[in-house]
Amino acid sequence: MNSQISIQELTRALHRLPGTEQTTERRRALQLFADHGFPGQREEDWKYTDLSSIAKISRTWLSADAEPDGPDLARIHAAMASIDAAWIVFANGSLLRDLSPGLSEPGVSASDAVELDVVAVPNRRDDPLSALNRALSRDGLRLQIKGDNAAARPIGILTLDAAQTAVSSSQVRVDIELAPGSAARFVELHLSTGEHEHYSNCVVNLVANPASSCDYVRIQQRDINHSQTARLNLRLQQDSHVRHAAFDLGGKLTRNDLQVDLVGQGASCVLDGLYFGVPGRHIDNHIRVDHCVGPSTSMQDYRGILTGKCRGVWNGKAVVHKGADGTDATQSNHNLLLSEHAEINAKPELEIYAEDVKCAHGTTVGQLDEQAIYYLRTRGIDESAARRILTGAFAAIIVEKSPIPELLGILNEKVVAELQKIAPGVVS
Amino acid sequence: MLKIRNLDASIGDTQILRGLSLNVNAGEVHAIMGPNGSGKSTLAQVIAGHDDYVVTGGSITFKGEDLVPLAPEARAREGIFLGFQYPVEIPGVNNAYLLKAAVNAKRKHQGLGEIDAFEFLKLAREKMTMLDMDPKFLHRGVNQGFSGGEKKRNEILQMAMLEPELAILDETDSGLDIDALKAVAGGINALRDPARAIILVTHYQRLLDYVEPDHIHVLSEGRIVRSGDKSLAHELEDKGYEWLQDIASAG
Repeated sequence: MNSQISIQELTRALHRLPGTEQTTERRRALQLFADHGFPGQREEDWKYTDLSSIAKISRTWLSADAEPDGPDLARIHAAMASIDAAWIVFANGSLLRDLSPGLSEPGVSASDAVELDVVAVPNRRDDPLSALNRALSRDGLRLQIKGDNAAARPIGILTLDAAQTAVSSSQVRVDIELAPGSAARFVELHLSTGEHEHYSNCVVNLVANPASSCDYVRIQQRDINHSQTARLNLRLQQDSHVRHAAFDLGGKLTRNDLQVDLVGQGASCVLDGLYFGVPGRHIDNHIRVDHCVGPSTSMQDYRGILTGKCRGVWNGKAVVHKGADGTDATQSNHNLLLSEHAEINAKPELEIYAEDVKCAHGTTVGQLDEQAIYYLRTRGIDESAARRILTGAFAAIIVEKSPIPELLGILNEKVVAELQKIAPGVVS
Repeated sequence: MLKIRNLDASIGDTQILRGLSLNVNAGEVHAIMGPNGSGKSTLAQVIAGHDDYVVTGGSITFKGEDLVPLAPEARAREGIFLGFQYPVEIPGVNNAYLLKAAVNAKRKHQGLGEIDAFEFLKLAREKMTMLDMDPKFLHRGVNQGFSGGEKKRNEILQMAMLEPELAILDETDSGLDIDALKAVAGGINALRDPARAIILVTHYQRLLDYVEPDHIHVLSEGRIVRSGDKSLAHELEDKGYEWLQDIASAG
């Protein structure tokens, strides 16, 4: 297996970090990653996703000793202008404080997470990719949402990675804590530029204290030659609610891990997702919800549209722990395969150790409904337009549920643009 | 308006229509009746242009033009409307969007600009009132979660908005309670016009109590075995379809 990177190589990278913050925590994380390496396909959770390309990018980056590209300011400003949010900007893993009005947004307290372990969700920090992130993050950010936060405009987290001059890699780490009774909205936007390969490894930890609520939209629109692994850990206390929607519209290899721990009674989460597969893309969503107590609710609803030689992976798991009575968990994953070369591995999983639970799951893989196409044609609509309408409608089911309604316009715009790319003959 | 001559049509290897002939003129209402499997729905689908059905002999012309090579959408724009026996549910496409797209497709074909948004809504609401439909249906997914009766009313709503020259209504009366049947019949009657022809495909004569046809045709084994005026419907009701099958096999 080529996924091992030696501790020597990694330590060199550590020395290159600004301020050379070689804390115990970093060293521990570094050792953890060095011991394990990138996850391999023998591991059940990584069966369909081969990280050897990412390991190769990492090794090249580690040995090159190149300074990261400077921030692409024009691109950053354009991205910030596209969505009305209080932005916080990371460029190649560095926090650009001057371009981050979100750091001083009322109701938000921002601090460095130098120790990078302040809000870490217990037991969710020792997987190899989280360890790699913790070891090599240049800047960590900790956001505390105060109890009286009115959640006016969303807080935007923009990640712009550039690989213009050389192969590069970056780590982004954000810890978020919602005070009891607070409400907050987040939009996370991942973009990238550059001809060279890039690998981004992003970790967000979010702790929702009792009676807090959070609406969260993540949009990934990386260039086709750039890859990412992203992990979001959510820990939900009593009567807290999180609505999360993930839009994966770009990238080469994308792996998203979404871990939710429902640890307080009355906690609920809605997890929606939409992903597009285009030739050469690999898009893997792994979702796991742990119902530790009941009653608690989780609803997973992901949709994928795939065309050309590409692969989608969807694994949605709900674990209902002993005593989590009154759990309500649903998982749904629907996939539209627009070409015979596209592949999807979809698997809902349920593990139930409690009584009185309501669980339902369903996955489908199919083509456009020929009867529906015919129906539209009998109403005078061209076949190509009918296909476009139905493909758009398939995606709209997720878009229209956006936890942040103000984003509907931009989400629609982005989705339509992607639809035009993925099926030029079908979508006009 | 519609001339069908010795039409043969098959689905896969199975021939369903066998030498069917039918003439429908503007202003007329025709009812096509017959037992299950006689080819009624096939006839409706063949006129609308369903790909699964292949015309293997004979001809269909509409306003003097050969219909067979035309795609379903081209036929629709020429003025043919098919009301489905089982209207398709399309989640994610709202009813108003479909209606507008359909109306505009036809207008474009006629060399007209897109319908004004206000005018469209006014028209749609007007037609919905006539059909006793809640305006909220305009903003729901096409037929999504609609009851049987609501789906059929929705078909009639589309017909009313599109004002076709030839409307074929396939089993529009099936599964309707009496109120829905009356509303649907009212919608059909409102569209009766000297310039328009309507073909009602139905198994029962129930709808014909509310929409009086000028001509009734009985289909058996893929061809018309008997034609007559509305009294034929009552005769059928009294004697059943078996009586006709005897005629068919004798003839």
